[in-house]
Amino acid sequence: MNILVCFKAVPDLDKLIDEDWVIDEELQIDTGFLKPILNSYDEGALEIALALSDASESVGVSVELGALTIAGTRATPILKTLNALRFKRVVRIHSHDDFRFRPMAIASILTQYVLRHAPQEVLLLGRQTSIGENERTHLLLAEMLGWPCITQVTGIEPVDMNHLMVTSQADDGQLQQRIQTPCVLSIGDAPNTYLRVPTLIDRMRYGKRPIEILSSMDFHLADETEALMDLEVLIHERPGILIEGQTPEQKARELYEVHLKERLEKR
Amino acid sequence: METPFRSNRNVILTNAIKGEFQMSLKREQIVEALKKIVGEDGVITDQQVLKESSVDRFRRFEAYHGVYSLPLPAAVVYVNSTDAVAAVIKFANENKINVVPRTGHSATEGGLETVLENSIVVDGSNMNQIVDIDTYNMQATVQCGASLQALDDRLRDQGYITGHSPQSKPLAQLGGLVATRSIGQLSTLYGGIEDMVVGLEAVFPDGGITRIKNVPRRAAGPDIRHVIIGNEGALCYITEVTVKIFKYFPENNRFLGYTLENMKTGFEILREVMVNGYRPSVARLYDVEDGSYHFSHFAEDKCVLIFVAEGVKPIAEATAIAIDEIVTRYDECVKADPKLIERWFDHLNWDPANLAQEKTEIIETKNVCNTTEISANWGIIHDIYDVCIQRVRDEIPDLTLLGAHSSHSYLNGTNLYFVYFYNVVDCRPEEELAKYHLAIKKIIVEETIKAGGSMCHHHGVGKHRTHWIEKEYDSSYYILKTLKRAFDPNSIMNMGTIIPLESK
Repeated sequence: MNILVCFKAVPDLDKLIDEDWVIDEELQIDTGFLKPILNSYDEGALEIALALSDASESVGVSVELGALTIAGTRATPILKTLNALRFKRVVRIHSHDDFRFRPMAIASILTQYVLRHAPQEVLLLGRQTSIGENERTHLLLAEMLGWPCITQVTGIEPVDMNHLMVTSQADDGQLQQRIQTPCVLSIGDAPNTYLRVPTLIDRMRYGKRPIEILSSMDFHLADETEALMDLEVLIHERPGILIEGQTPEQKARELYEVHLKERLEKR
Repeated sequence: METPFRSNRNVILTNAIKGEFQMSLKREQIVEALKKIVGEDGVITDQQVLKESSVDRFRRFEAYHGVYSLPLPAAVVYVNSTDAVAAVIKFANENKINVVPRTGHSATEGGLETVLENSIVVDGSNMNQIVDIDTYNMQATVQCGASLQALDDRLRDQGYITGHSPQSKPLAQLGGLVATRSIGQLSTLYGGIEDMVVGLEAVFPDGGITRIKNVPRRAAGPDIRHVIIGNEGALCYITEVTVKIFKYFPENNRFLGYTLENMKTGFEILREVMVNGYRPSVARLYDVEDGSYHFSHFAEDKCVLIFVAEGVKPIAEATAIAIDEIVTRYDECVKADPKLIERWFDHLNWDPANLAQEKTEIIETKNVCNTTEISANWGIIHDIYDVCIQRVRDEIPDLTLLGAHSSHSYLNGTNLYFVYFYNVVDCRPEEELAKYHLAIKKIIVEETIKAGGSMCHHHGVGKHRTHWIEKEYDSSYYILKTLKRAFDPNSIMNMGTIIPLESK
């Protein structure tokens, strides 16, 4: 069973300080000085794929893992890590284009990769990324391929060469389904999805295996009906009051007397 | 694999069982007596609190898995005044009960572990007042539990800083920082905590309160501040600290970063900067592995050199220009965008949110990071680096990262901070330290002492480097042991810390 995890390396926006949230004329925010990290949902997808591969051995299902990103060279350290974790196929579709808010373009590239370059039975994607993504890539990809798509996936277990047991979050609870491949699975808030860490020995032995590099120029981009027109920094602020006092007891007293008592008595 | 650490712990427990360190009072009697001294509210006997208070960050992997293998303390006592500290310690001394002094609880070397039955953990974190900020005499006085972050924030509002900025700044408190001879990221300009402390107040085991006055210098015999600074709670309890403060000119800060091919060149550059008298606040050198953890976005497979020049504008500018001239003479060095360095520094420190994330990551991945810091003269530092990296790589299983950086340089040498991550494989939580961290520490400490360096640069000895303390001190161990005997004759102060338990 060929399983491909499509992931994105993103800047660690938690480390962007207020003064760096500057939008330039190209509608870009300079994040070049931040170390790229794995998009958290994609990290979950990669770890779930590895766990699925581990579990497949015991049920006699042969799994071949691949990982693919559309990115420039800044994603290379992450790709090397995936090599060290023994993903069989590690692919970078080279591009410096701006793919923010362009799920149609990304889905069309991924579709062509699967149809023309490397047939797959299962595609795993994180549900969304921290920049320029609106939670639609997996749906568009499934539509283009004509495959079913399960969203909010939190766990996958192997069944046989053509089926997976997929756990997902539904509105009314957890849903477990036996899914026939091929399928697109979108990983949601899955538990325990920090990516495992390869050993130094595996880094040396496998980390430097060649990365398959393709060019985005070789892919036809689907017609897009949307374009990024404007960006605005959203400032989420809530008013706060600093309570002064010499001791925690004094502060607690003021909190209660001045700010809470009246509200509590009204209830 | 030899595991002196396990046998060390066995000695501790065996001695406790034999009654060598046995106290005269039962657990309940200790708790009742403490309540009379500090009041009911100040004495905590909740089992979970006692478990968490039996360890520090050294045993965090065990703690994350709910495993607590050391004797639990009889109580954690929150003290609110120097007099309360004196009363508690006097009581402990009269009844030969082990006392573990604590403030921020961020120690990393086991110094806060309770290795004897029914110890009393004396927590000074409620003594958190900033007593005085004296901008004319350029010193600030704080109680032991004052947060370094709070002090520094208060000072910055007035245009000053402490100059002390360890990674634990959001967590650590002044008493603990002084007790462990802490050092901060700006040490190359401002010095370690020992260079900042002007005067102190401390409680010794007989309950006596000692104050060392705040003066610019003294030549009235030995500098007795150093009996207290770095005592790790093994001689006395620090209750108040006065430190120097410095004027703060963040607008003048100059950040410099370079990539280079090898550590030997990096050490040469650091040495050249220092011996020519330049004093950047930050001078750091990362090897390829450690650098990859922080800087892979601009320095893949490269070593990294970082400098920060600060102070008044002419000095900051001249320092930055001179350092840049030195570095650019080395062909292999390539300059990096200063913003890469500046933004990296913005997020270097650890706050409670980082600790919570680390806990989740460790539990999920079983991937643990630990460190060992040493120092040595310029002439031997690269040899120590080489042999330690080689031996650890060859001898320790399951490593996922092994690297080192130099982060504190001096006229005559520098430190090395070995950083190692490993996957915990095929062992129980309580076996993790012996299989990995202590086995690595053993290699680094033994190779460092053999070469002529110091086995501890800034974390303190704690309870797990005591095995080598005699070798560290050599003939001067006599002085250390005499200090312990003289100031703590009843062996009640944080036993097993600095000096091994069996050789009290």
